[in-house]
Amino acid sequence: MRSLIVACAPRKMRNNEDRAATGWAMLFGFMIGFAAIGFESATAQEVVKLGEIEAQTGALNTYGWMSSQGVRMAVDKINKDGGFEVAGKKYTLQLLNPDTQGNPQQALIELKKMIEDEHVQYVFGPFLTNVYKGIAPYAQGDNGKFLLIGGATAIHLDLGKPNNDFLVRSWNWDAGASGFGSLMVQNLKQRGAKKVAMLMQNDAFGHVARDIYAPLFEKAGIAFDEEWFEPGTTDFSSVLAKIAIGKPDYLFPGYTDAVLYDIVRQATEVGITRFWLVRGSLGPGLKNKDAIDEYIIYSPKYFEQAEASEPKVKAFIADYQAFYKTKFPYDQAPLCSSSCYDHVFMLVEAMKKAGTVDDVAKIKQALLSFTYPGLWSIHFDQTGEEVFNFDIVDIKKGGGIEVMHISPN
Amino acid sequence: MVQLIIGQLLNGIIVGTLYGIIALGVTLTFGITGIVNFALGGFMAIGAYLGWYLTDEIGISYPLAVPIAVAGTALFGLVADQTLFRFTRNNLINGLIVSIGLISVIQSVLLIVWTTTPKNMHYVLPGVLNLEWFIVPKMKGVVFLVLLAVILSTYAALTRTWVGRAAYAFAQAPEAAVLMGVRTRLLQTGVVVYSTALAGLGGALYASLYSLEVSMGSSYILKGVEAAIARSSSGRRRSTRPSVNFQM
Repeated sequence: MRSLIVACAPRKMRNNEDRAATGWAMLFGFMIGFAAIGFESATAQEVVKLGEIEAQTGALNTYGWMSSQGVRMAVDKINKDGGFEVAGKKYTLQLLNPDTQGNPQQALIELKKMIEDEHVQYVFGPFLTNVYKGIAPYAQGDNGKFLLIGGATAIHLDLGKPNNDFLVRSWNWDAGASGFGSLMVQNLKQRGAKKVAMLMQNDAFGHVARDIYAPLFEKAGIAFDEEWFEPGTTDFSSVLAKIAIGKPDYLFPGYTDAVLYDIVRQATEVGITRFWLVRGSLGPGLKNKDAIDEYIIYSPKYFEQAEASEPKVKAFIADYQAFYKTKFPYDQAPLCSSSCYDHVFMLVEAMKKAGTVDDVAKIKQALLSFTYPGLWSIHFDQTGEEVFNFDIVDIKKGGGIEVMHISPN
Repeated sequence: MVQLIIGQLLNGIIVGTLYGIIALGVTLTFGITGIVNFALGGFMAIGAYLGWYLTDEIGISYPLAVPIAVAGTALFGLVADQTLFRFTRNNLINGLIVSIGLISVIQSVLLIVWTTTPKNMHYVLPGVLNLEWFIVPKMKGVVFLVLLAVILSTYAALTRTWVGRAAYAFAQAPEAAVLMGVRTRLLQTGVVVYSTALAGLGGALYASLYSLEVSMGSSYILKGVEAAIARSSSGRRRSTRPSVNFQM
């Protein structure tokens, strides 16, 4: 061994044979030691990479934070608890969550990096329809190699189609007999609504929403007008003044709190005081509680109530505050994060059931086979679309709240 | 319908003053330092968040919170000038790169501190003025009057005070201005700080009308720059220095 070390040593060092031999022996010793430690940890605890393609900045970052806040917390919790075991092997999770800025081109670049360079097989996101449409052709080219677990509405249209086995939709569907949108429209009809005006952002999701809801209103016999605004708009006075002339019973406005606060405030200034919406939090309604007559929202989970009655929700809120070192804001992002938090645990559960961490077909099959009793009670239908209960929350003038719990079939 | 159109034209003029205050800052900064400061949109966001925070979270009355927010934003402007913009004076490309980079820094810091949750200030002055053919929220009217007063005061200061005339002189003929005793470094720093203060004022007033999110300044700075360029291209040439055409 010593002669080998000396032979490997540079020529100059052979003049001082003993010192050289000692030095090289130490170097080799460290290298072998580190390699052994690395090998041991690699065999004892391997890593499953999770990717996430969501906006962390930009005008629609709320939709990115919805997913990423919960996913980060879940990954951290699973790893801190020592990881998970599949087929006798211990695994931890590694999360790659670059910022797509809500931009389809950037999302495509990040997805390519994840799949081609990092060999990620499980990607959460996107929640944005325009981003999904931007990455779909590339993702379809890698069908069978990975799973994309995203909430974008447009994913619904591709579920179950050939070459789209990689898709799992992490949100429930608006239309159909059990769709939350259909049930919300029925509820609106029961309230005696005759005319609804929709004010939507002129983007991919806005148009998908119009295509979903226009037939639902027609079927329910409710007259329907549509108006549009451009992304980044903050002053809606003009379009709201135009809508007010038509005297709708309800305004169906936007889909993010970022615009809803402004729309609701400015709508009340032109005399529109009843709101009906399928996305967004209670915040804009409560902020303007003295100016509105009614603010009806679709809420996957009314957290303020659930916190008092469900220990898991209470614990999640405490964990959220500890993890992010901030107050729990009860708005869109953390509420939806709680479902994305569950999705990570569901994926791990599916890996355990399938007995593999890399056979995506088996894992998808397992994922679709059970109901997960997490913060939400979630299961997937046979196309891979999520189904969960929801609440219709009705804020009255002055801030009084009525909650109706809905269970889709 | 005619009432609707006239009403909305007036609404456009009122909202336009918010763009105007940003455009004024862009123009002043470019005229004196040669920098197109896109970060003024970020400074507007700082002013807005400070205004909201002081009012809704700390509980300071809004009329007092506005000048504090303006002063705070100006302080950030001073720090940015001394640590960044000072080194990019009269270098358009470097100034652009620094100002665009600063937007990302400001947005990221605001995101970390105040998250993506939109912030919405309580009603500072509730109610509307119903003029039969035009409904205007009272607060919007107040914001319009304040911004108009500041824009006119700035114009008066530029045309009728020694500092204003020195700024004009420097923009038209920097060497001559130096020879005449204008303290150029101080003038440039002063203009950068004043521009950020204007952006902060725009932001603090904006917060009383609209909800806040971290990228709120982006659309305003783009329109502000457009307004400044439009005014510049329609203005009378006063010198070969491009900054002069950027109206002061």
